[in-house]
Amino acid sequence: MTTLLQQIANGLVLGATIGLIALGYTMVYGIIQLINFAHGEVFMVGAFGGLAVYRWVLPESVRGDWYISLPAMLVGGVVVAVVIAVLMERFAYRPLRNAPRLAPLITALGVSVALQEAIRLWFPNADAAQPFPRVFIDAQVRLGDVSIPASGLLLIVVSVILAVLLQTYISRSRMGRAMRATSQDRDTARLMGVNPDRVIVLTFVLGATLAGIAGVLYGSFITNVDNSIGFQNGIFAFTAAVLGGIGSLRGAVIGAFIIGLIKSLGGQYMPGGTQYDYVWIFVVLILVLVFRPQGLFGEAERVRA
Amino acid sequence: MSAAQHRAADTVLEASGVTMIFGGLTALNDVSIRLEEGRIVGLIGPNGAGKTTLFNCLTGLYTPTRGSVRLRGKSLPSDPAKVTSAGIARTFQNIRLFPNMTVLENVLVGRHIRMKQGPIASVFHGPVFRKGEAAARAKSRELLEFVGLRGVETEVARNLPYGDQRRLEIARALATEPEVLLLDEPTAGMNPQETEAARQLIFRIRDTGVSVVVIEHDTKFIFSLCDTVSVLVQGEVLVEGSPETVRDDPRVIEAYLGKPREEVEADVAEAAAQQQREDS
Amino acid sequence: MSRFTGLIPLALVRPFNALGGLLLLVAAMLPWATFLLNDGPFPEKSTLQYFDAPFELTGFRWHLLVFGVVALVTTFVPLRGKDRVLRALGWGGLVIGLVCGYFIAENGGGFGAITAADGASAFGSVVAVLGGLLLILGSMAKPLDEIPEWPTSLFGLTGMAARLEAYAYLIVAFAGVLWLVTQTLTAGGIGGAAFPYAGPIFLAFLGFAGGLLGALHGIGLTRWVSHLSEKHRAFSIIVLLACAFLLPFPFTGAGSQYWMQVAAVIGVYAATAIGLNIVVGLAGLLDLGYVAFMGIGAFVAANLSGAVASQVGLDLPFPVAALIAAVIAGIFGAIVGSPTLRVRGDYLAIVTLAFGEIFTRAAQNNIGELTGGASAIPGVPQVTMFGTAFNEKITLFGAELPSGVLYYFMIVLVVGAIMAVFANLKNSRMGRAWIAIREDEDAARAMGIRTGKAKILAFLVGAMLAGLAGAIFVHKLGTASYDSFKFLESVTLLAAVILGGMGTIPGAVLGASLLFVLPEKLREFDDFRLFFFGLALVFIMRFRPQGLVPDRHRRAELAGETAEGKPIETEEEQAVLEHEERGHAGPSAPKEDRA
Repeated sequence: MTTLLQQIANGLVLGATIGLIALGYTMVYGIIQLINFAHGEVFMVGAFGGLAVYRWVLPESVRGDWYISLPAMLVGGVVVAVVIAVLMERFAYRPLRNAPRLAPLITALGVSVALQEAIRLWFPNADAAQPFPRVFIDAQVRLGDVSIPASGLLLIVVSVILAVLLQTYISRSRMGRAMRATSQDRDTARLMGVNPDRVIVLTFVLGATLAGIAGVLYGSFITNVDNSIGFQNGIFAFTAAVLGGIGSLRGAVIGAFIIGLIKSLGGQYMPGGTQYDYVWIFVVLILVLVFRPQGLFGEAERVRA
Repeated sequence: MSAAQHRAADTVLEASGVTMIFGGLTALNDVSIRLEEGRIVGLIGPNGAGKTTLFNCLTGLYTPTRGSVRLRGKSLPSDPAKVTSAGIARTFQNIRLFPNMTVLENVLVGRHIRMKQGPIASVFHGPVFRKGEAAARAKSRELLEFVGLRGVETEVARNLPYGDQRRLEIARALATEPEVLLLDEPTAGMNPQETEAARQLIFRIRDTGVSVVVIEHDTKFIFSLCDTVSVLVQGEVLVEGSPETVRDDPRVIEAYLGKPREEVEADVAEAAAQQQREDS
Repeated sequence: MSRFTGLIPLALVRPFNALGGLLLLVAAMLPWATFLLNDGPFPEKSTLQYFDAPFELTGFRWHLLVFGVVALVTTFVPLRGKDRVLRALGWGGLVIGLVCGYFIAENGGGFGAITAADGASAFGSVVAVLGGLLLILGSMAKPLDEIPEWPTSLFGLTGMAARLEAYAYLIVAFAGVLWLVTQTLTAGGIGGAAFPYAGPIFLAFLGFAGGLLGALHGIGLTRWVSHLSEKHRAFSIIVLLACAFLLPFPFTGAGSQYWMQVAAVIGVYAATAIGLNIVVGLAGLLDLGYVAFMGIGAFVAANLSGAVASQVGLDLPFPVAALIAAVIAGIFGAIVGSPTLRVRGDYLAIVTLAFGEIFTRAAQNNIGELTGGASAIPGVPQVTMFGTAFNEKITLFGAELPSGVLYYFMIVLVVGAIMAVFANLKNSRMGRAWIAIREDEDAARAMGIRTGKAKILAFLVGAMLAGLAGAIFVHKLGTASYDSFKFLESVTLLAAVILGGMGTIPGAVLGASLLFVLPEKLREFDDFRLFFFGLALVFIMRFRPQGLVPDRHRRAELAGETAEGKPIETEEEQAVLEHEERGHAGPSAPKEDRA
C-alpha cells in the first residue's frame, strides 16, 4: 500500500512536469497545427538556463538561500526558453507557414536535434549529466507513510496554478480571444483586425514560459539534468496532449497526470519494470489514436470539402 | 400504376429525410431529393443553405444525423471511397485536383478503382499489368478529349488555366465510371463562353447515360440546364419542380430572387459569414 | 533568388564576371599558406614548396585554374545559359576558397596563415573567395536564363543511327559519372590521423564537383542526358550497372578494401533511403523510427543464420534468411502504420518515433534473448555462395580484386533492384494512389482510393526494403548490435532523403552517399555531425525544400511556384498571398530560378 501511494506521488510529480510542457504543445498545435517537436528542447534549454544562472550569475553567498536562488533561476530559465522559442518561430517556422505540411514538421525535428546537440557541445561539461543545485530538495514532506520532496510538491502546485491561470487568460483576456479566433480561422481573424503573427509569437512565448519554469523545477526535483531530458519528456508531453485532445488545455493537464501515473505505476507493477515503463505510455497513445483519435476532451475533426 | 412502377425503377439516387446537425447547428433539415436516370437535377439556394453539406452527405464524407441515401435502392456506406466505387463521383466547390501531378495522371487516379493491378503486379510490370495500364491511359486520353482538354497531358495540373482545371476535375470524376455525377458549382468564376461550353459538356455527359446533380448560383444556367430544380433555403427544401414551376413560385422569388438588390447582397454577406463559421 | 535580382546594374555584369574569372585563375597561381602548418604542409604544394614549383598545379588549385579559364571564356562568348554556368563556377570557387582558407587559418592559428606573415604572403584563398563572390554577384543582375533544350540527336539522325548515337552519349556520360564517383570517394584519401587534410581536400573537391555539375546543368547537358537515359531506360541501367561493376578494378583508384567497405555501407544505406523515400517522398508520411525496421531485419537475419549467440538454432542460407527478415520487418511496418489511419499524418511521426524508441530499448535489454542486449550478437557468419565466402579476395579477368568486393557486387545488384521496384511502383496504380494521398487526402478518397490500405501498404513496402537492407548489413558487419539502429540513424536517413530530394531515386542515393561519406572524411568533425544534420534539415526546408535532385512533382509544390499558375479562389486567399509576398519572401514568393 505504501509503495502504491509512493508511486502515485511520483506519478503526480512527473505528471505536473509533463503537463507544463504539454500545454505548450497543445497551444502551438491549436494555433498553427504544427507538432513542435522542439518544444521538449525548450524545456531542456530552460533547465540549463536556470543552471547557468546558478553557476555564473548568483554570487556564492546567496546560493544556499532557496528564496533567492530559485526565483533567480526561474527567471533565467524562462528568459532563455522564451528567447529560443521566439527565434525558432521567427526563423524556422514562420517562413514555412504556407509550405506543405511535411516541411515545418521536418524543420521542427531539425531544430530539436540541433538544440540538443548544441547544449551537449557548448554547455560546459554537458556531454555528461550535470548536477543541478540542491537548493530546494533537502526538505521532505511526509504525508503518512509517503514522502515527497518539497520540490516535487512545489512542481505539482505550480503546475496546477499555472494551468488555471493560463485557462483564465485565454478565455477572458483580449489577447486570449485573439488566440482562439486565430486557431479557428487565421484568415478570418486577420480580416477582423487580429495580427496572426503577434498571436503566434505570443503562443510560443506562453508555451516557452511554462516550459522554462518546468525545466528549472524539474531540474531541482531530479537533481541532475542532461541534454536528453527534453526529448523524452517532450514525447511524453505530446502523448499527454493527444490523450487529452490536442488543442484542449484542460485535456493536456489531465492527460499529463494520467501519463505520469501510467509511467510510475507501469514501472512498478508491469512486467519488465522500469526498463519498459514507457512502452505502456505508447500503448496508451496508440489505443487513444485507434479508439478515440480526438482524445478525451477534443472535438472530432471535420473534413473540409 | 404502371407509370408509377416505371418511375420507381428509374430512380437512381434518392435521399430521404436527410438531417445533418453539427453541434447545435442544423445544416440540413429533413431534405429529400430524387434523381431519375438520365436526368439533370439542379440545386440552388443562397450561400450557407446547405447545398455542399448535402453533397457531402451524398458522397459519404459526412454521415447524416438522420435519414438515408440510396443508390439504386441500396443504402450507401459512409466512406467516400466506397461510395465512389458504388458509382457516385463528384467535383469540389474549390477545385481539388492533385496539383503537382500531371493532367493525365490526375485522370489516371480517377481510373484507380476500375483498374485491377495489385502491389505485386505494380512492382514487376508484367505483360498483364502493361496491358491494363495502356488501356487505362487510352481511356483517360479519351476522357480528356471528351471534356475538351487537348495537348496538355504532361502539364502539371496546377499550371492549367482555371476553366481547364474545372474540366479536368470533371474528367477525373468521369474516369471512375459513375452512374451519378455531382457537380459543385461547375461554372463558378467562368465567363459566358466558358459557361456555355460547360452547359454543353453537361448535356453530353447526360447523353452518355450518367445522371447529374448540379449546384449553382447562376439561376439562368440552372434553369436552362436542368430537368428538375430544388431550392434549398436554410437547410430545407423550399420548392421542388420543373424549372418553370420554380422560377414562377412566389416563395422562391421572395426568398431568393425577388428582393431588392441591396437586401440580397446583405443576405449573401451574412450567409458567407455563416458558412465561414460552419467551415472552420 | 528573386529577392536579389537586380542587386547589381546590368552594365557591371560583364566586368564582374571577367574579374571573377581572372581572380579564380590568379588564386590558382598563388601560394595558399604563409608557413608550414603543424600537421605538415597543406596539400597541392600550396605552402612553401610552392616556390620550388609555382606552376605545378594539382588538386584544388588545378580545379580553380580550370574554373577561372572557363569563366573567362564563358564571359566573352555567346552561350545560352551562361549566367547559370558562371554562377555555378562562382559557387564552386567560393566553396574551395572558403574551405581551404578556413582550415589553413584554423590550423595555422589565425588570419596570418592565409594573408601575410613572417615576410611571406599567401592570398590564394582570399582571392578565390573574392573571385567566387564576384561571379555569384554577376548572376544576380537579372533573372536567370532558361536552361536550353537540346535535340535528342545532335546530328539530326533518326531510327537506328539515332539510337546508336544516344547509346554513345550515354556511355560517355556514365563513364564521366564513374570518374566523378571514384574521384569523390578517393578525394583527400582516408580521413583520420594518417592524413590530417582529408576533410578540407574532400570538401574542396565537393565544391569542384558541385560547380562542375552546376555548370553542366546550366548549359542543359545534365537535363539532356537524363532525357536520353529515360528514353533508353534498359540500356542506361545496363551501362550504369557496368560502371558500378568496374569501380573495384584497380584502374579506377577506388579498388581497395577500404573503399569497398565504404561503398558497401553507402549502398546499404542508399537501399534503406530509397525505402524511406517511398514512405516519405511518395506517400508523404513522416517516419521517424525507420531505422528500427532495418534493425528488425538485422536481428532476424542474425538469428536465422547460425550466429553463435543465436537462440534459434537455425542456419538458413542467406537469401532465405534475408527474405524472412524482410517479411517480418514488413509485418512490423504494417502494424506500426495502422493506428494512425483515422488521424492526420502528423501523428504518425510521433507513433513511429515512439516505436523506434521502444525498439532500441527492447533490443538494448535483450528482449526474448533475441538481440544480445548490450553485448550484441557477434559472429554472424559471412555470406557464402558457390563455395566462396563473400569477404575473400577474388580474381576476375586477371585483376586481383580486394576483399569485400563480393559484398559490394551484391549490394550494387540489390540497390539496382530496389531502384527498379521504386520506379515501377511510382509509375503504377499504387504509386499514383500514394502521390494522390500526399497531394490531397480527401480528394483521393473521393476518387475511391482506400487511403488506409494504401498507407499501410506504403509502410509495409518501405519496412520490407529496410529489413532486407538490415539483413545484408548484419552479414557484412558480422555483428548485430542495437547501437547501429538508434534515433541518430533515423535522422541521418531522413536527412539523406530530404537533402537528395524527396520522391526521386538519384536523390536518395546521392543524399545517402553524401551523409555517410562525409563523416568518414571529416573524422575531426564527427562530434558535430548530428548538430549539422539538424541544422541542415532546417536550412534545406527553408531554402531548397526540393533537395539537390528535385522531383518533377514535388518541384512545383515545394519550391512554391509563382502564384500566376494557380487561380486565386477567394479574396481572403488573395490577401494571404499578397501579404506573404509583401511581408516576407516566404515560400510562395515567386522564384524564377527553380528549373
